[in-house]
Amino acid sequence: MTQRLPKYRSQMRIYVDIMRVIQREDNHAKPTRILYGANLSYDRLVKHLDELKTLGVIEEIADGDDRFYRLTQKGIEFMNQFRAVERFASAFGFVI
Amino acid sequence: MVGPRWFVGFDSLMEFIAFIIALAIAYQALKGYRLTKQRTLWYVHFGFAVLSVGLLIDSLTGFLGILARTLRGTIGLASIGYSIYFFAQLLAYSMLIYAYVSQTRTLNRTSAPVLFASLFGSATLQAAPVPGVRSLGPLVEYHPIAEIVLLFLVLYVAVQTGMNYSSSKDRNALLVFLAFLFLALSHLFFILQPFRALLFVVGHMFQLVGFLSLFTMLLRVARNQ
Repeated sequence: MTQRLPKYRSQMRIYVDIMRVIQREDNHAKPTRILYGANLSYDRLVKHLDELKTLGVIEEIADGDDRFYRLTQKGIEFMNQFRAVERFASAFGFVI
Repeated sequence: MVGPRWFVGFDSLMEFIAFIIALAIAYQALKGYRLTKQRTLWYVHFGFAVLSVGLLIDSLTGFLGILARTLRGTIGLASIGYSIYFFAQLLAYSMLIYAYVSQTRTLNRTSAPVLFASLFGSATLQAAPVPGVRSLGPLVEYHPIAEIVLLFLVLYVAVQTGMNYSSSKDRNALLVFLAFLFLALSHLFFILQPFRALLFVVGHMFQLVGFLSLFTMLLRVARNQ
C-alpha cells in the first residue's frame, strides 16, 4: 500500500512513544533511555514528561540522585486502549 | 425483483445482523477517534454509522413490508427502504474512499479510474438490451445501475484493504480485506439477480459473511489487550 507516513509526529504519537519506552523498560525508565527510545531532544523530552505527569499517566520516582519514570494505572489503561485502537486502524490500513 | 418467496424475511434478518455489526464498527472507530483525534478514524466512524442507519432502515422496512402484505397493505416500503439504504451505502463507501485518499493521497492515480469505470459501467448497462433493466425506473428495489455504482466503490475499498494486507500480512487486515471482497461479491450478485432469483440469496449470504468477517476482526482487536 502506498502509505505516506506523516512527516512530523503528532503530539499523541510522541506521548505514546514515550510511554512505550517506559513500558519496555519494565515500567521503570531513566530519562536518558526515554530520550533515545522516543527519539527526542532533551528540552522536548522535559516538556513532554511534564505534560504527561500533568495528565496523570506517568509519575516520577526519585531514587537518590537518579530519577525514574513509570506509568500510572491511568497510563497503563490508556496504553491498552491505544493498542486496541492502533490494531483496529491498522486492520483498515490507517496509520495513527 | 426480489429473491425467492421462501427467502422473504431472511434478507431483513441478515441486514439487521449486519446493522448491529456496522454499529459496533462505528462505535469502535469513534472510540479510536476520541482517543487519538485521527481524522481517518472519524471517516470510518461516520461511514459505518451511516451504513448502519441504512441497514436498519432497509431491514425494518423489509419487516414492515412483510407485515403490510399480511395485512393486505399496498405500500412499497421495501423500495423506500432500499433507496435510503442505497444512498447510505453511497455515502458510507465514499467516506471510506475519502479516508484512504486523504491518507495515501493517490486520488489522481487510482480514484479517478474507479469513478470513470463506475460511470462507464452504468452507461453500458443502461444501453444494454437486458430485459427488465432498461425499463426499471430510478431506484426501484435492487436497481442494477445502483448496484454497479456500489460495486465499483466497494471494489476500490477492497483493493486498498488488499494492498494493506499484502504489505502487513496481518490477520486483522486479512479479515477486513475479505469483508470488503465479500461485500463486492454481494453487489455483483445483486446486479445479476434479475437473471436468477437464487443469486439474490447468494448476494445476501456474501453480504452477511462480509460483515461477520468485520465482526471477527473487531473481536480479535478487542480481545488482544
